[in-house]
Amino acid sequence: MRASIIACALLGYSAVAGAAGTPVGTVIENTASVTFDLAGAPTTVLTNTTSLTVVERIDVVVTLLSPQILVAASDTSRALLFRVSNTGNGTEVYTLTIDNILGSDDFDPIAAVPAIYFDTDASGDFNVGDQPYTPGVNDPNLAADASIDVFLVNDIPAAVVSGNIGRSQLTATSATGTGVPGTLFAGQGDGNVDAVIGSTGGEALEFGEYLVADVQINAVKAQAVADPFGGNEPVPGATITYTITVDVVGAGTATASVFNDLIPTFTTYVPNSLTLNAASLTDALGDDAGEFDTSVVPTIVVRLGDLTAAGGTQTVVFQVTID
Amino acid sequence: MSAFTEKLLARAMAFAALFVLFASDIALAQGKGHLEVTTIVQKEILVENEDGDSEKQLVVAETVIPGERVVYTIVFENVGDAAAENVVITNPISESLTYVAGSASNDSMKVEFSVDDGKTFGLASELRMVDNGIERPATTNDYTHVRWVMQNELEVGAKGSASFAAVLQ
Repeated sequence: MRASIIACALLGYSAVAGAAGTPVGTVIENTASVTFDLAGAPTTVLTNTTSLTVVERIDVVVTLLSPQILVAASDTSRALLFRVSNTGNGTEVYTLTIDNILGSDDFDPIAAVPAIYFDTDASGDFNVGDQPYTPGVNDPNLAADASIDVFLVNDIPAAVVSGNIGRSQLTATSATGTGVPGTLFAGQGDGNVDAVIGSTGGEALEFGEYLVADVQINAVKAQAVADPFGGNEPVPGATITYTITVDVVGAGTATASVFNDLIPTFTTYVPNSLTLNAASLTDALGDDAGEFDTSVVPTIVVRLGDLTAAGGTQTVVFQVTID
Repeated sequence: MSAFTEKLLARAMAFAALFVLFASDIALAQGKGHLEVTTIVQKEILVENEDGDSEKQLVVAETVIPGERVVYTIVFENVGDAAAENVVITNPISESLTYVAGSASNDSMKVEFSVDDGKTFGLASELRMVDNGIERPATTNDYTHVRWVMQNELEVGAKGSASFAAVLQ
């Protein structure tokens, strides 16, 4: 029987390859074996052993996590969220920069001071717990496959109009260096092995967008009829319940919003039937947010005040009877 | 000559002797039996030629980065005085490397692969893997070894080579 000895590829140390690839410093040794028969006698010879050392590949990717952000003129501290990922196979430090002077947009957001923050509390929202980035002081140091979430924080200029788009761009740059793929930084990888620039060039950038969207108020009126006989016929004596829902979309605030609704002809307002968000309002003028004003023509008036999208739906309900 | 220098000289000679011994060990290992076999690993690099154009060139590889392709070549020669029969060349494929499909093809040798750490071998089209009880065809990712089975005997003085390419994960 012919002896068959198989040499195994030896790894310098155990290495688990992640998405970023085989870790820096892994040594791949290789020995081939050759078996043969000489005059019927089985023989095995081994080749020399070759050795390959895995060096550092420098790569980085920036992705935008925020949707398009709706803003209003003169808004302050509006944040865009990005993710910086080390797609290389070694540990790498990156410097971060913001650029708002970009083409293909309508306005330049004004970078806040400071303008770059880490999502320290991992909430995805920009808030007081988030630490500002200071170049050279807390540059992100990412292990292979690791990532960090970063905010760009900007103010919106006063001179913008609804529909304008402004872009803000984050750039992450490898501290070891950048260059065309294959550029060598001898001895500058992890553990002083060589570092080589990968397909991303060692630098990545991505922009996010602000869209100026003036506040818009949408009101929807619904009616329900109840006749005196337990049905829904609009006959004299029937009661109509009107429900008006007011929604706000877009950015900014609709200040001192007032809802007015004329009582239809051939109907009569049902006294004390007016509610705002299920809370009763008196018919009298000026004592609360709403009234039944008969000074000119019979009109329902509700002062909704300052409305924002975040404030949610406002619901006004009142009743009339058919004359 | 001082005692110190003598000592130094003796030490230097001992080191030289050790080196010679080491070197001859390698020669012995490679030339053992009647086949001389060596292996090299290379990679393609782009170099600028005289016209300023970039050209691909295979160079001996010592370092590699993820995504890079390397080529292993095993060179053999019958340096004995009798023909070698049933020549089989076996090379492991490191788990950090993925075999490049078709790269081991050879005119005079049958190419087989192992997916079970070299216990059994088969043609690429025949190999199966079992994942969670479900059988599937093996992929290049599963290969643990490649081997070349020579169809004819290797005559005295005859030489040849086998090679394959792999990409670092």
